[in-house]
Amino acid sequence: MTKVDTLLEDTPGKEVLLLANEAIARGVLESAVRLVALYPGTPSSEIGNNLARMAPHLENFYFEFSSNEKVAMEVAGAAAISGARSMMVCKGPGLNVAADPFFSLAYVGVRAGMVIVVADDPSMWSSQNENDSRYYALMGNMPMLEPADPIEAKEMLHKAYEYSERLELPFLLRTTTRVNHTRAPIIYDDIPARPETVSFEKDPFRFVPVPAVARKRHPWLLEQIEKAREISNSSELNFFESSGDFGIITSGVSYNYVLEALSTMEIDAEILKIGMSHPVPDEKIKELLGRHERIVIVEELQPFLETHARRIAQLQEINVTILGKEQDYFPEVYEYTPKIVMNAFSKMMNRESPVDWEDIEDTKKELPELPPRPPLLCPGCPHRATYYAIRTATRGKAIYPSDIGCYTLSISPPLETADILFDMGSSVTTACGIARVTDQDVVASIGDSTFFASGLPGIANAVYNQHPIALVVLDNRTTAMTGHQPHPGTGLTGMGEQVPGLDIEKVCEGLGVRYVKTVNPFDSMADLVADIRQMLDWIRENQAPAVMISKAPCALLTAAERRRKEERPSPYYVDEETCTGCKRCLNRLSCPAMYLDTETGKAAIDKDLCNFCGTCVDVCPVGAIMQEE
Amino acid sequence: MSSNNRNTINIVISGVGGQGVLTLAELLAKAALNESYNVRVGEIHGMAQRGGHVVCTVRIGPMAKGPIVDEGFADILVGFEPVETLREISRIKKDGHVLMSSHIQYPVAVSMGKAEYPSIDEITSNIEKLTSNITELDAMNLAKEAGSSRAMNMVLFGAIVATDLLPITKETAIDVVKKKFPGKFEEINVKAIELGFSKVVN
Repeated sequence: MTKVDTLLEDTPGKEVLLLANEAIARGVLESAVRLVALYPGTPSSEIGNNLARMAPHLENFYFEFSSNEKVAMEVAGAAAISGARSMMVCKGPGLNVAADPFFSLAYVGVRAGMVIVVADDPSMWSSQNENDSRYYALMGNMPMLEPADPIEAKEMLHKAYEYSERLELPFLLRTTTRVNHTRAPIIYDDIPARPETVSFEKDPFRFVPVPAVARKRHPWLLEQIEKAREISNSSELNFFESSGDFGIITSGVSYNYVLEALSTMEIDAEILKIGMSHPVPDEKIKELLGRHERIVIVEELQPFLETHARRIAQLQEINVTILGKEQDYFPEVYEYTPKIVMNAFSKMMNRESPVDWEDIEDTKKELPELPPRPPLLCPGCPHRATYYAIRTATRGKAIYPSDIGCYTLSISPPLETADILFDMGSSVTTACGIARVTDQDVVASIGDSTFFASGLPGIANAVYNQHPIALVVLDNRTTAMTGHQPHPGTGLTGMGEQVPGLDIEKVCEGLGVRYVKTVNPFDSMADLVADIRQMLDWIRENQAPAVMISKAPCALLTAAERRRKEERPSPYYVDEETCTGCKRCLNRLSCPAMYLDTETGKAAIDKDLCNFCGTCVDVCPVGAIMQEE
Repeated sequence: MSSNNRNTINIVISGVGGQGVLTLAELLAKAALNESYNVRVGEIHGMAQRGGHVVCTVRIGPMAKGPIVDEGFADILVGFEPVETLREISRIKKDGHVLMSSHIQYPVAVSMGKAEYPSIDEITSNIEKLTSNITELDAMNLAKEAGSSRAMNMVLFGAIVATDLLPITKETAIDVVKKKFPGKFEEINVKAIELGFSKVVN
């Protein structure tokens, strides 16, 4: 049975091992959600991947990979205003992209339930910053639920829809990487029917927040937040557990670490577990503060609950010691672990650690230095060939603005073609700024999905303001980094339908780019280098932007296709006689499938890893790399 | 409460992106769930997967709440690669079991001559500073013997089951794998499990 079949099964009571993201996709069915729109982003990606696979099998259900998060928020928001339950999904930085509609949506509210799933990434496993999206809930006046594990993720999703409809407000469901990417046993609920059609009922003096309308909606929103506070104070999502000499307030994944630490260290404490983190349950917090002399706050990232607890203690004039980040018991950076919680308890209570971590630290110091193994462009990745050519053509001297995607990995030596990065689409716009204040050549790179997500306004800007920049679109025909989702260029929709894909070359021409050229990075390295030089010459002469589209499918797609067709290309090898051991291939191309044979001192190819792109053949100065006949 | 915690079995699986680390973690947990145990799996996705170092955790037992296995808490450390085994060694608890595949996959820094790959003896002697309980096998060779270099994770699955530290029988393991990958790879996968299993039992 495939994963999709499993997720679609109408078998209430059945227990299945699911990733939280899969559980949320399942929860979409169980909550009768009619529309989901999103732009993929790790750690939330698998929600969309699974929904896309499920969508063609479902009636009265629509799923789309929107072109970016702002678009997704608007599509899903409008559906909920029309009276159909909807969902928008993003990662932390994705909510920043969608922040504009997010704030208006809270003002106008919704008619059917709407949930915005935002996946934060403490420790930045796959993100450019450690967004703490709880502050969006606070600033945008939008209620927020925060599950601790995959089981709660699905349960809270159902609650979020119920509350959302009660308050006519969208609800945030905030997860973190350690929730999204945890698997746990999930029990299925019923799958209700989804409404066939809904119709939009006009109410412009609610749904069009011109200043006169918005002025009335802001007090309404604050009233709704007060109602949400009542829910927060009575909801079983915020609950007391156990008893002991001191109190603990915790939320999200940290709750598990608290349970594990208390159990391991045999400590008794009363826990207030916060599942609804905005608005916080003031009454429940007040109760706990009043019952204990000491309160410990355990939460990842910024002191959100801690600040609220201190606020409530002050307002209620409760004399209580609140221990948390402000006294350095807990860090404000990176994700927590049970060890962090146990160490904090040890410090606060003057107790010994349950494990001798100092001893482990000492042993670690004795270990040899291990070679690092950072993430890399895969063997056979078309980006490696393109970047090799860019570096060769510019002798490494140009400035290389980068963007969000696999290709940011080109930051590593020897490619080193990522010099500046802010966010999605910033390759184009940062290139504009650099080109205006320096005399250096600027070669920016952007992926195909990112091009559609956030690149277009930057290109319009570059054309209109005549910025002399080179933009290389690394078109690998997919959104590779987040798990191969389609985008407007691929010609596949979230519903699994084939449609005409948007042509990047024509889009650029339409935006007024006068120099546009499409190349295949695997055709000829010499030609590719010459093409890049020619483009740079044109830019210098014309003082205007130029675009090169380097088009070849993602190596993982190529490999999967090959396996499906049971194709076995002849392997590449290094001819030992010819190889001079110059290591140019190893030092300049750094394909993970190539290594130095320490016995012969010559380059070698690991046949299990090679993906048959053949770029190394062009890179070898003596023609020692060949493909078997 | 504490006795429950002692019943939790913690497994750390360390390897290189693309070797099948995530799949092995999922299958281990599914097998344990089939035997009616509570489980948690912690995974790494996205950027960290691209040929980089990957760690997954599997926790079995009633007190398995969160996904993380901390330093000093792993009952079993499964390494797909020697250096990646040593990289996670601090997670092993005193006298925990290390199961290491000896097949080397060189990091690019080594190929470029910017870092050195330690010798297998050096790796083993360093592991021994924390535990003498080491089982070494060449999972790559055994996978190829089973029919595919991609079946390394299945070889290690068989090996883990053979240690007898988990409440999972070989039959359950094979059953779970057959359900996950029905079709033409079934034979290869089952053979890989058998090879890994007998390598450890003997």
